[in-house]
Amino acid sequence: MLLELRAVSRRFGGLLAVSDLSMTVVSGSIHGLIGPNGAGKSTVFNLVTGVLPVTSGEVRFKDERISGLRSSEICRRGIARTFQATALFREYTVLQNVLVGAHLLASPGLAPTLFWSGTYRDRERQARERGRALLESLGLGAVWSHVAGQLPHRDQKALALAMALATGAELVILDEPLAGLTDQEKGETIAVLRRLREQGLTVLLVEHDMKAVMGVCDTVTVLDHGVRIAEGTPREIQTNPAVIEAYLGAEEPGA
Amino acid sequence: MSIELLVQALLNGFGLAMVYVLVALGLTLIFSILEIINFAHGEFYMLGGYVTYYVYALFGLNYFATLGLAIVTVGLAGVIAERLIFHDLRGKALNAFIVSLGLLWVMQAGAQLAFGVLDKPVPSAFSGVVRFFGLIISVERLVVSIAAIVLIVALYLFLRLSRPGRAMRAVAQDPDAAALQGVNIDAVSALGFGVGCALAGGAGGLLAPVFAVSPAMGALPVVKAFIIIIVGGMGSLPGAVLGGLLLGGLEGLGTLFMGSAAVNMLGFVMVIVVLLLRPRGLVGGA
Amino acid sequence: MALAVIVLPLLTRDSYYLDVATTILMNLTLTMSFRLQVSTGQINMAHISFMGIGAYTSALLVTRLGFSFWATLWIGALTAALLAVPIGSVALRVSGPYYFLITFAFSEVVRLFFNNFFENLFGGPSGLVGIPKPGRLLGLTFNGKLALYWLMAVICAVVVVALVRLDYSRFGLTAGAIRQADLVVETLGVNVFRFKLTTFVVGSFVAGIAGVFFAHYRQVLHSSDFGLEPMVLLVVFTVIGGTGSVWGPVVGTILMTIASELLRELHHYEILVFGAVLILTMLFAPEGLVALPGGARRLLRKLRGRASEPAGAGVAP
Repeated sequence: MLLELRAVSRRFGGLLAVSDLSMTVVSGSIHGLIGPNGAGKSTVFNLVTGVLPVTSGEVRFKDERISGLRSSEICRRGIARTFQATALFREYTVLQNVLVGAHLLASPGLAPTLFWSGTYRDRERQARERGRALLESLGLGAVWSHVAGQLPHRDQKALALAMALATGAELVILDEPLAGLTDQEKGETIAVLRRLREQGLTVLLVEHDMKAVMGVCDTVTVLDHGVRIAEGTPREIQTNPAVIEAYLGAEEPGA
Repeated sequence: MSIELLVQALLNGFGLAMVYVLVALGLTLIFSILEIINFAHGEFYMLGGYVTYYVYALFGLNYFATLGLAIVTVGLAGVIAERLIFHDLRGKALNAFIVSLGLLWVMQAGAQLAFGVLDKPVPSAFSGVVRFFGLIISVERLVVSIAAIVLIVALYLFLRLSRPGRAMRAVAQDPDAAALQGVNIDAVSALGFGVGCALAGGAGGLLAPVFAVSPAMGALPVVKAFIIIIVGGMGSLPGAVLGGLLLGGLEGLGTLFMGSAAVNMLGFVMVIVVLLLRPRGLVGGA
Repeated sequence: MALAVIVLPLLTRDSYYLDVATTILMNLTLTMSFRLQVSTGQINMAHISFMGIGAYTSALLVTRLGFSFWATLWIGALTAALLAVPIGSVALRVSGPYYFLITFAFSEVVRLFFNNFFENLFGGPSGLVGIPKPGRLLGLTFNGKLALYWLMAVICAVVVVALVRLDYSRFGLTAGAIRQADLVVETLGVNVFRFKLTTFVVGSFVAGIAGVFFAHYRQVLHSSDFGLEPMVLLVVFTVIGGTGSVWGPVVGTILMTIASELLRELHHYEILVFGAVLILTMLFAPEGLVALPGGARRLLRKLRGRASEPAGAGVAP
């Protein structure tokens, strides 16, 4: 059990965006988080990664409490994420984007940086090599020197994933990694996720493409209006009446 | 310390606050529409003062007519400035800051060259004092404050009721949505800038008899205007009024207890406190 | 540029040119440290206040307590840096235009403090006079313009080299990332608040050093030396040069200081022309003068019809 949420709630003024949520993510698995729009999925991500504070409850990672810590500290412990609206450093090149996150594996401190000592140069060279290799594995090898803001959508999404992976995280949280991709691109991304799982990474993702979610996830948690209404294997979820109800209800006009 | 003394101090502080609110309103209007801070705002105030000097003091036109003239002239100057210089700088605050600085220097040096450096006194149109309940207020300050309030109300009505005014509010709230609804952003920006400057020009005309006219006269009001809109909330018009009252009251009371040097600091201390507790300003929500 | 710095005093012993050059070096120290903060997205309008803190600290320690300039050089800068910690921590609680405004408010409070309080210490509105030049060090005297020029040159060189190194390193990469999207940088494991505070404190330390030198060079201090006008000039020099590159302030400071000297003869026209130059530069070179060659190159490429080439600037190999 890598990530655990215990009775987590988040209140915005009068609105309870997430209510008494408990869930666990098993190490080495791909875990999906689904639910109709407004169910609170992105809020859960923000709570886990420390972007928002929990109103009550606890988030634990590797059996240590992380709720209440700064986002940077949570990242240092091994959690990285992407954002729904792809968040990149648009003025930087692709490689530079990846290098920003690589400091956790390469950081030698202020003095070596200032004096460009041998240690600093070695570490930076290693970081660049690792960065290039990472980009290669995600299909971005050819565009490493291109400006991030000018990349096509598919490459931007891949870059966001690369940036998260560059931190050396054990748990990667992906917010709609397949949004805006063609079927072929989705297939490629899913293959990448499977490969990451084989390498021992744990993935928690939010997605709206049901077919993809059911195809790649080991476990799925379903949220509706901030409350967990089901959790289990894809097959269990697909036949769960409460889940079907929630989605049908959300599809009614005006709902 | 008697109540009378306190109220008198407050009254003294409020005396010119409404005029500074006018300046602040102009600044915050421009900010809300163009998302830039115009550091040359005080120079438009100064222009209004000089128009008043030449037309009222030297030429002899009726004071209120001159005021109207000042407002219109400076407003036009504002429109020209926006069209020539500012309209491409929408949202680019740092560049707009530098440009408005350049404009400030151009206008101020220009004024020094055109009008000379010395103070030019403007005779007041009103004299005497009014007494009530043991409190004293000069007729001039009373008229100036009332005129300022009239202009503020006029601005409010303009923004609420007229079509250009509503267009300006729409752009201030959400420029993309406004554009989709067919609002001409360029025209609104130019008009908004013009109105903002016109307000400053009017304030300059109102205070010309009080403080005399000089090329550097815009410096103090614009600093007060900044304090007011930070405290009230950038982009908020009711916030500017509230901020002005707070600043006026605070400085008025302050003179009872401390020297003028410390009173000057009060405004800035208030700014720091507000920025720490409610960075968006007391009324700000933008 | 290093050559120019070294060659200049060989070309002329003229006191006036040395003065201008020394002023350029002082300004450069200030704009480079200001730009360090700007690279993270902070427009710190109180930068000049830390120069003032360094200046007054050193002036008082030397004139009242007989300290040596060579000690107060560090003490003044450290005082500035120490005060930068609480001031920066408070200012960094807000961002963007609010940070700009709160630092401006701080700078006015500091200036008013030096102008109106403890007049027996700071000199009040008449200023603080009688500050001596630096004393002897290692047998060298520092009484002449030339010696002071060399001193400032060494200080400036160290600062420039250090800041350029920082900018081309991971530190600069992180700073630019923070400027573009600070929330993302935080989720990538960087404590953004601590990073920004570090640049604030380091920048203030350098400003303090410049302040100490300023105090013993001019030998007179007045609170207006650390007010809005000089701060605004710093901002102008930096932005005109271009904040995107670490060399921007170099270009901006040198060109603008020389320009203001050339225009000085014209009195009121000087300011008018200066203002016009500002407006035109911002309208036609919005990324600063240092970006002009790059912009011209891109323009030429477009005119010749080539596809856009990949950028590659930034972190040095």
